[in-house]
Amino acid sequence: MQPLANITPLKPAGAIEVRNVGQIFKTTTQDVVALEDVSLDVRPGRFVVLVGPSGCGKSTLLMMMAGLRQQTSGTITISGAPIPEPDPNRVGVVFQEASLFPWLTAEENVEFPLALRGVTKSDRRARAQDALKLVGLDGFGKRHPHELSGGMKQRVSIARGLVQDPPVLLMDEPFAALDEQTRMTMGDELLRIWAATGKTVVFVTHSLTEAVYLADEVIVMSPRPGRIVDHLQVSLPRPRTYEMLSGDAFGSLRDRIWRHIRKSA
Amino acid sequence: MQSGLAVKAARVAIVVALFAIWEILSRTGIVNPRLLPSASDTLSTLGELLQRASVRKDLAVTATEVVTAFALAVPVGALIGFLIAENRYFAEVAKPLLFFAFSIPKSIFLPMFILVFGVGFSQKVGFGFFSTIFIVIMSTTTAVESVKVEHLTVARSYGATPVQTAFRVYLPSMLPVLLEALRISMIFNLTGVILAEMYASRDGIGHQIATWGENFQMKQLLAGVVMIAAIAIAFNELVRWVETRCSHWRT
Repeated sequence: MQPLANITPLKPAGAIEVRNVGQIFKTTTQDVVALEDVSLDVRPGRFVVLVGPSGCGKSTLLMMMAGLRQQTSGTITISGAPIPEPDPNRVGVVFQEASLFPWLTAEENVEFPLALRGVTKSDRRARAQDALKLVGLDGFGKRHPHELSGGMKQRVSIARGLVQDPPVLLMDEPFAALDEQTRMTMGDELLRIWAATGKTVVFVTHSLTEAVYLADEVIVMSPRPGRIVDHLQVSLPRPRTYEMLSGDAFGSLRDRIWRHIRKSA
Repeated sequence: MQSGLAVKAARVAIVVALFAIWEILSRTGIVNPRLLPSASDTLSTLGELLQRASVRKDLAVTATEVVTAFALAVPVGALIGFLIAENRYFAEVAKPLLFFAFSIPKSIFLPMFILVFGVGFSQKVGFGFFSTIFIVIMSTTTAVESVKVEHLTVARSYGATPVQTAFRVYLPSMLPVLLEALRISMIFNLTGVILAEMYASRDGIGHQIATWGENFQMKQLLAGVVMIAAIAIAFNELVRWVETRCSHWRT
């Protein structure tokens, strides 16, 4: 609870500041250092991708930005204030597949965050419609998740993350379970939505191609203990196109990330 | 839908055929009609029994016992099951013990229930409760485990309070498993109460059925069997109907 900081933010809405963050998991036998001395600045409206080998703590870092997990040391601020617990007004989270509630329809899933806060039914419905329209699912609101394709389900998840209009959207491997073609399409869709809304996006992925294709900046992390080993600026023009994937600029960026990851593997 | 209709028709045909065979075996004397009164005689006896005030009273007694035992066993069992499933230490300690308890035939404890509670209402309710609670505990544990961690994380990330999480995530996740549990629990409950009535009682439909059997009143006995079967099937189907309505998303 930082009401004062919320009223007069030290940083503009959507800025993320990570300072000397460490995370230690205590198990019965030993302490595991998951993250060590991670510092990072994300300016408002940027698209930042976290990559790294499995177990490098990139999802852990994302969960800490969401307030779902507390760091052992260091500070994290979102829009200028710490995030000791989840705050859907400041941060929307999009998870991996299967995070939709199967007993609710698409629009009820999108309304879920609003229903928790007691927004009236008609208001909820209107805002869910807008969010579904934004993600290209106009007319699919009455369907249940099992009646939607994998890509459509993730569109619903994105709509749910955006429905409260938070300045920051955190995405934890949202397209990991999708097939290659759907994944490419969803990448383009996400960039379109991002451009339309101006959100700050932090996106975790295993795919180097996806990372370079989507990002303004790519943060490369090392395996346990997770540290930042590189921070790349992706200066490819926008909108990104499929042709860029075979260009030299794209290739050299991807190679540079791959060399970091291969070294640590 | 034609195949669905064909399946239904085949089911009806099997039931009709069973009754027809029953009728024929008895009428032709292939089976001694004193041992196996015909289906038509049984059904007309059933109609006549349902007119009798004493039988209606027995049914009311049994129904009260069944409902009371059920109304006690389900919430108590669900609460215990929930607490066990939510606490990893409890779960580890209690689970094998519950399996032990569940594997024991409950009927061997009936004489003890009679010694403790006598042969009245509390004995039936106590034994019905005892017959039911283990399956309720175990099913609730399964139901809690069917709640997905991902869904709980989603709820938490959107700031759900514990009460909101209970009603908006736990309950709908668990509902299909819980309804199934309710249905199976009722089978155990009904079995427990009727067994208790048959073993030692002054009233109740189980007691009546036992008496008819002892007195070689086969028509009444068979009519009683058909009556209990019909009631049990009706309850089961009712819950199954609710189940399919509540778990259409489980595909």
